[in-house]
Amino acid sequence: MNTGILKPTLAIYAAIFLLFLYGPLIILAILSFQSQGGGPQFPIQEWSTYWYRHLFGVTETSRVSQLPVGDALVRSLILAFMTTVVSTVLGTMSAEAFRTRFKGSGPVFYLIILGMMVPGVLVGLGMALLSNFAGIDRAWWGTAFVLHVVYTYPFAFLVMLAIFNRFDRSVEEASLSLGVSPAQTFRRVTFPILFPGVLSAMLFSFTLSYDEFSRTLFTVGRELTLPLAIYGTFSVEIYPNIFAFGVLTTLFSFTLLVVYGLLMKRFTSRRARFSGQEEAA
Amino acid sequence: MLKLNGITRRYGGTAALDGLDFTVPDDTYVSLLGASGSGKTTLLRLIAGFEEPDAGEIVLGGERLDGKPPHRRDIGFVFQNFALFPHLSVQENVAFGLKHRETGAIASGSELTDRVAAALDLVGLTGFGHRGVGEISGGQKQRVALARTLVTEPRLVLLDEPLGALDANLRARMCDELRAIRERLKVSFLHVTGSETEALTMGDMVAVLAQGRIAQAAESTMLFHQPQNPAAARHLNAWNLLAGTVTGGALQTPVGRLPLPRPLADGTPAQLAVRFDQIDVAEPGAVPPGQDHFTARYLTGEFNGPTTLSFFRADDGELIQVVDHMSNPRLPDLEEGKTYALHFSPEAALLYEGAA
Repeated sequence: MNTGILKPTLAIYAAIFLLFLYGPLIILAILSFQSQGGGPQFPIQEWSTYWYRHLFGVTETSRVSQLPVGDALVRSLILAFMTTVVSTVLGTMSAEAFRTRFKGSGPVFYLIILGMMVPGVLVGLGMALLSNFAGIDRAWWGTAFVLHVVYTYPFAFLVMLAIFNRFDRSVEEASLSLGVSPAQTFRRVTFPILFPGVLSAMLFSFTLSYDEFSRTLFTVGRELTLPLAIYGTFSVEIYPNIFAFGVLTTLFSFTLLVVYGLLMKRFTSRRARFSGQEEAA
Repeated sequence: MLKLNGITRRYGGTAALDGLDFTVPDDTYVSLLGASGSGKTTLLRLIAGFEEPDAGEIVLGGERLDGKPPHRRDIGFVFQNFALFPHLSVQENVAFGLKHRETGAIASGSELTDRVAAALDLVGLTGFGHRGVGEISGGQKQRVALARTLVTEPRLVLLDEPLGALDANLRARMCDELRAIRERLKVSFLHVTGSETEALTMGDMVAVLAQGRIAQAAESTMLFHQPQNPAAARHLNAWNLLAGTVTGGALQTPVGRLPLPRPLADGTPAQLAVRFDQIDVAEPGAVPPGQDHFTARYLTGEFNGPTTLSFFRADDGELIQVVDHMSNPRLPDLEEGKTYALHFSPEAALLYEGAA
């Protein structure tokens, strides 16, 4: 194609792409500043931070009840954190195992990957039936947690597999040949080099678990996680306080991303700094 | 002194090393020459402890090494790809072993700094300590890798094709420096390479690895002039080998009958070896008296700067190479496709008993 047409076409495509990506978020953000009397739609009657204050319960009592998300938020964060730790550790360990072709590694690989392939609703339902059958109470920290790990572990595993693929084993051997014990070698060499990858695996696990819906739906028991709690409020009536809450959680996610970015930068800057021509020694 | 006795290492059904015996003397630069896939890297990895032999024993200074974990062997290893720690600076790379090793780690900051500075001095990298390992050139990386190994004062240093990743210019300079550094430290270096020139340049002693064993280990000029067996001769890339069977007091080869330097019984398979630079070329029928000869067709010449390599094809397809030195040309003007007589002095030929 002629580059004269190509460039504007791609530019328009990119613009539309970004619009669809961030459009919903922007609408949400704007509507969250609706005044007390306004509904969850345009036009904005008056700009205010009323719904934010309402969210934190610092407004005078109103006919709209406060969003029941406080406990759910804490639960979701704890659950996401637990899932992150377990999935990343499991993912790292199994990726390490896959560095050597062991017997049956092919089937095992697909069995692990299956966890992210199977439909969430089915797994959730199956888990609910299974726990009923086995007489186990459903709970966010039990049955739901197990499913979250099953779901996020393959992602962490794949990330770590890619990281290990690029990892040059000879640096570990170099460390050993310098008289450094295997444990210290892992701590001083392997882990620092792999850490950016571990961070990515953690980010994946955390975000996937944090807004997991379908698997959690049937397995969470009485105490709801955040996505379910929010969904629960939809069945009553929607007020802009949910938008305010959405904006805050999005900000929280962005903060996580920034922390991730900063950590990444700190750990990778030294390798990337030089890219110039090699001169004779 | 490092002694290897009957070292065997198999991968699947094939033996990479097959009952190898070898001794690395103290305070010596030893080069180990082998074709790619000959098991030379495997041998180094066995000595370093990254792999274990299936049979045989490794003894260093009277102490059995095999079965010991690599970090307790006190053997340095310099990798072909340098294997520097990418997340550490040059200084931290060099300090790494001293600081974190299991026994004899140095806690004192000033001693550490001094030792690291001395090591960087030794390899000519004074003042580079603060740089990241991504900010230095290939030759400098090689020096850091060397400094990092030497600073821990290992009993033996293994170098796995340490110059392989460097360009030709740098390689020549690193050769000299490696020898100089080793002489100052009085520790043995075992340097593995696939290049015969590198092996001959570097080694006080050169060992040729072929078919999973040491074909010959000797001082480098000795090895070059008197390879003991066809395998050693072949690896030097300087000898033409003519295989045949003894019949009627001469060696019947595909290029014709050649006289034997010493008598062998009829029916014995044998090989004659003649060095590239000891073959002269003449018109057929103009062979000087007293010279052995055979005929071959001139294929082409390869100009290598100070030397020219000429390729001849004997009637049976055997490829014969002849080296001519520019400053002292021996060869007549050669015409491609024409047949010449290749002659050599009977004393120049080496005779090996046994089939090719």
